[in-house]
Amino acid sequence: MRFILVDDILDLDPGKQIRGLKRIGIDEDYFRDHFPGFPVVPGVLLTEMMAQLAGKCLDAENPSRGRSMLAAIESAKFRHWVNPGEVAIIEATILVSRPQFAKAKCQVHVGEKLVATSELFFSFVPVSQFAPGFRDPVLERYYESRQQPSGQTPL
Amino acid sequence: MSQLEALRWIAQTFEESPERITAETSRDRIPAWDSLGVLTLMAGLDQDFGVLLSDAELRPMASVGDILNVLQAHGKISA
Repeated sequence: MRFILVDDILDLDPGKQIRGLKRIGIDEDYFRDHFPGFPVVPGVLLTEMMAQLAGKCLDAENPSRGRSMLAAIESAKFRHWVNPGEVAIIEATILVSRPQFAKAKCQVHVGEKLVATSELFFSFVPVSQFAPGFRDPVLERYYESRQQPSGQTPL
Repeated sequence: MSQLEALRWIAQTFEESPERITAETSRDRIPAWDSLGVLTLMAGLDQDFGVLLSDAELRPMASVGDILNVLQAHGKISA
């Protein structure tokens, strides 16, 4: 199982704000158990979506600081179920960004509906601890899309 | 801020009961004063007092008294 929970970045202001999306597949493996006959996206995965997206905003700001890692979930609320086939629009605003830590306020919408919110705390891990040449495929794709004439990431 | 209020702030930062925290309480008596605790303390000092310390300044701290000294040095605790 891959653990990439952001499909595309829609807007990015490094170190400040980011918006992205995750298309929820109709046959995600976890729906078999969460829950039989009542498939909904687990809250921990919604939180991870927010963490991954906020992390990209931080990583884009200052790659030499290290890669952002979720260190604490200061708060998380899940207001509505997210169902198979829906598109989650994720947003993160960076509240504090320092050399050693960062905080972000995040939310997830499905359509007009606010389905989840969180405040997340990040630390940073030196880039040297990752596989040589590691690059974030979602961020890379975003930067590539910005170089195309349309400058748009398709929904 | 008085020293008592500062002690309460430190207790809250490390999710400890205020009764357990005095200036003499050593770091090894506070389970949440680990590597994440250092970052949490750093973030709290930044957010609540506008005091931004470096990792190198924070890591050698060995007791609650050391945190009080930092707050005092930055004029955050009234004499």
